Amino acid sequence: MTRYAPKSDLEVLQGTLDLLVLKALGAGPLHGWAISRRIRDLSSDVLSVNQGSLYPALYRLEERGWIVGQDAQSPEGRRIRVYRSTAAGRRQVVREVETWDLYAAAMRRVILAT
Amino acid sequence: MVETTRRLLHRIRQLFRRSATEVAMDAEMRHHIECETAAGIAAGLSPGEARRVALRDFGGVERFKEQARDERGFRPLEDLAGDIRYAARGLRNNPGYALAAVLTFALGIGLATAIYSVVHGVLLQPLPYARADRLVALWERNVAGGAERNVVSVPNFEAWRDRTRSFAGMAALVPQPVTLDGPDPERVMGALVSPGYFGLLGVPPEAGRDFAAGDIPRDAVILSDGLWRRRFSADHQIIGSSVRLDGKPFTVVGVMPAGFDPPRFGWLPDQELWFPFVATPANREWGRFLLVVGRLRDGVSVPMARMDLGAVADQLGHENPSDSGWSTALVPLAEQITGDVKTPLLIMLGAVALLFLMAAINVGALTLGWVRRRERELAVRRAIGASAGRIFRQVLTHSLVLGVIGSAVGVVAALAGTRVLTVLMPPDVPRTGDIRIDGAVLLFATVAAVAATAAFGGFAAFRSARLQGTVAAPTQGRVTRRLGGGSLVIAEAGLGVVLTILAGVMVRSFANLRAVNLGFEPGGVVAARISLPGVSYGTLEADRQFFDALTDRLRSAPGVRAASAATTLPLWCCAPATDAWDAATPPSGGAAPPTVDVRYVDSSYFVALRIPIDRGRGFAGREPTGGLPHLLINQHLARALWGDADPVGRRLHVDLGDWQTQRPMADAEVSGVVGDVRLADPRTPPRGTVYLSTARFPSSVRDIIVRGDGRSDALVGALRAAVRSLDPALPLSMVTSVPDAVDRSLARDRFTTLILSVFAVVALLLAAVGMYGVFAAEVGARRKEIGVRLALGARGAGVIRLVVRRAALLAGVGVTLGVGAALLLTRSMASLLFGVGASDPVSVAGAALLLLSVALAATAIPAVRAARTSPLEAIHSD
Repeated sequence: MTRYAPKSDLEVLQGTLDLLVLKALGAGPLHGWAISRRIRDLSSDVLSVNQGSLYPALYRLEERGWIVGQDAQSPEGRRIRVYRSTAAGRRQVVREVETWDLYAAAMRRVILAT
Repeated sequence: MVETTRRLLHRIRQLFRRSATEVAMDAEMRHHIECETAAGIAAGLSPGEARRVALRDFGGVERFKEQARDERGFRPLEDLAGDIRYAARGLRNNPGYALAAVLTFALGIGLATAIYSVVHGVLLQPLPYARADRLVALWERNVAGGAERNVVSVPNFEAWRDRTRSFAGMAALVPQPVTLDGPDPERVMGALVSPGYFGLLGVPPEAGRDFAAGDIPRDAVILSDGLWRRRFSADHQIIGSSVRLDGKPFTVVGVMPAGFDPPRFGWLPDQELWFPFVATPANREWGRFLLVVGRLRDGVSVPMARMDLGAVADQLGHENPSDSGWSTALVPLAEQITGDVKTPLLIMLGAVALLFLMAAINVGALTLGWVRRRERELAVRRAIGASAGRIFRQVLTHSLVLGVIGSAVGVVAALAGTRVLTVLMPPDVPRTGDIRIDGAVLLFATVAAVAATAAFGGFAAFRSARLQGTVAAPTQGRVTRRLGGGSLVIAEAGLGVVLTILAGVMVRSFANLRAVNLGFEPGGVVAARISLPGVSYGTLEADRQFFDALTDRLRSAPGVRAASAATTLPLWCCAPATDAWDAATPPSGGAAPPTVDVRYVDSSYFVALRIPIDRGRGFAGREPTGGLPHLLINQHLARALWGDADPVGRRLHVDLGDWQTQRPMADAEVSGVVGDVRLADPRTPPRGTVYLSTARFPSSVRDIIVRGDGRSDALVGALRAAVRSLDPALPLSMVTSVPDAVDRSLARDRFTTLILSVFAVVALLLAAVGMYGVFAAEVGARRKEIGVRLALGARGAGVIRLVVRRAALLAGVGVTLGVGAALLLTRSMASLLFGVGASDPVSVAGAALLLLSVALAATAIPAVRAARTSPLEAIHSD
């Protein structure tokens, strides 16, 4: 049986979900499921976003003004919410990427140290 | 800054658009699952399988929704709004429960608030004077003579005022009734007060001025606002003008503000006008007759002032033989005025607190019942992810809604209740004008309501939060047992028995008071006082002639059986008293001679009051003015002085002046013995009393006592007509229907008894309802178990026994604890009781039996219902 599921069920690290969502919205507005799908695609099926934390994260980001949700209609006529990142969100991406680079480099140095 | 504001606005918008966003959230998550399902199908899963996997991966929708909501902020507020809606819905769906809970809570709050408003107005609120806590009443005190708070002599008042340093001021007061002359003469009560008295109280006259040092009594009068409006048509030009009182002119120097409530204590009743009190050589010789009020200097405490005053009294005792043995008493004025209603009011407050507790417990029991019916729902909500804290808050909110509605209804009821209380209240309770529901009382009601809600709501909420989803459904019975029904029954029975015992001893005490033999027959008697003005009568002979003519005229009036001119209105507080002894054996050494009441009566007095003459004779007609005065003594004095021997013809020394000779009275001869009477107060046992003849001792002031067949007002009418026919300018004062006066003398006891009885009835009702609720719930919860028992062959009677045994056990424990508590509590009311002990076994046993019966009655319906359980249905029910 072919599984459509990701190759790995690697949980998204605490604190990185915001960056992933903002990054996923970098290319344009998406709805919730599409965001999780895009994160999975961008990470080549490595990262799986826990659905349970995705929506709280979306509301949190919206609250902070980094993304904006707009009501829209799905092709099936269901009411959905489409999110796009704001200018503040794009500035935040830059900051978070810098932070992440520093963090990743530091992690790598620690791991490689003998 | 801008950012914060934006975020805040966002949150507020969310809050208001709550239901809209809720729907959107729902749709969004459903859409997610649909997309996931579609992806699964695209990947080759069957539609069912794909949906199942999608749902599984998504996890608990409710929990994510909760978390998502959490992220949106204002969470507690949102929850509160939701919980209130939930509670309101719950109450609407259970109108019976809601009504019972709200009414019970309202009853508790209403009664507690009404009683508290009385306590607050009478006891707690400061007196209506400037810095009233610094005002004190000062008394002379003679422990050996049994006078704890005695009025003060003029020289001692002057010495206190001049020699102490603890007082910013001191004033003397004497009651002074006067006649307002005019076409409609009226006798009104006033007082002589020291210059500066109103300044001392901190309530200056509204118009005019306070008395000053130079004023003499004839000069000056200050009117109350009420009198100024009633008799002087609120004349603004009145200051400086002259008014006629007792046939003499006085100058009005001031009018007091509306609402000025003069201190009333001792023998000082309500007052409508005031005259300056001035010490004179004559009144310095009058002995002790002043009431004294003082204001403590700043920084001086009551004990310091007591010491200061005591030192002066010691000096006076050394300087003056008549002051030896006398010390002083200093009492805060508020305590002086309200002291003797303090105990009954505090007992009522305590009782209402217990009642309130019972009401709160009942609401708690009702809420537990509600929780029990919600068990399954709560368990399911726990299972799908609602946190224990969430459930706790929800049930607490539910109780809060009940509490708010119940309190609102209760406060409205208290508004009416307070009015009813002030109407029922005995007329002599001080400060009833200060009883109202004000901010402080509402604060009390709020605190009580919040405390009660938190207590019963917290209990129910705690219990329900502990419900575990998995155990809820199959083990309802056990859960309910854990809900604490047993302790509720114990508490209800215990509190109920305490309140019933309080009412029981009070009812028995009141019955004893009612049954007291007064020694005279009050029915059909009216009385009034007449003071003949010196200007128009002037001589004792003229006074005597007037009273003889009046009683003669009254005796011939229709419906009048007897008429007497005497002293001492029945049930009036104050009568002269002095020392008396057997003239053959004068007291020697330190032995204090007995104190006797002195009454001046004519021959009709004993007929009018139907006091039996046991030996000898009454006064027949006019006594000779020379020779030894005759007197009658009561049985009590006869026994005390001469045992069973016949006292008639013996001589008695009475320590009195002879009014005609202006010399100390010689010995008097006992001419008869009359029955003992409780003339002043049904509580006070009779003491030695001597009756002297009004013929021998004339006076310008007499109390006219009339017995007749008609109604009291007809008799009063006859009395007024007779007085008017003799002297149209003469007013009556202190017009009294004696049966009404007897009633009034019992008014405080009646009020306390009534209130405590009402509390007891309410308590029994609450206990019955509360216990019924608990037992009904328990039987309901054990339905399955009982069904199994019945199916296994248990008999209906056995099931009833099972239920009743538990009820009797719990109620028995409660009653035992309650009796113990009651015995401690009733001790504090010993001073209120008459002829019954504080631990009256009849009341205790009666109350215990009553509560046990109530408990058994409350189990009757649930027990019978249990016995009739159909085993099949019970077992098959969930």
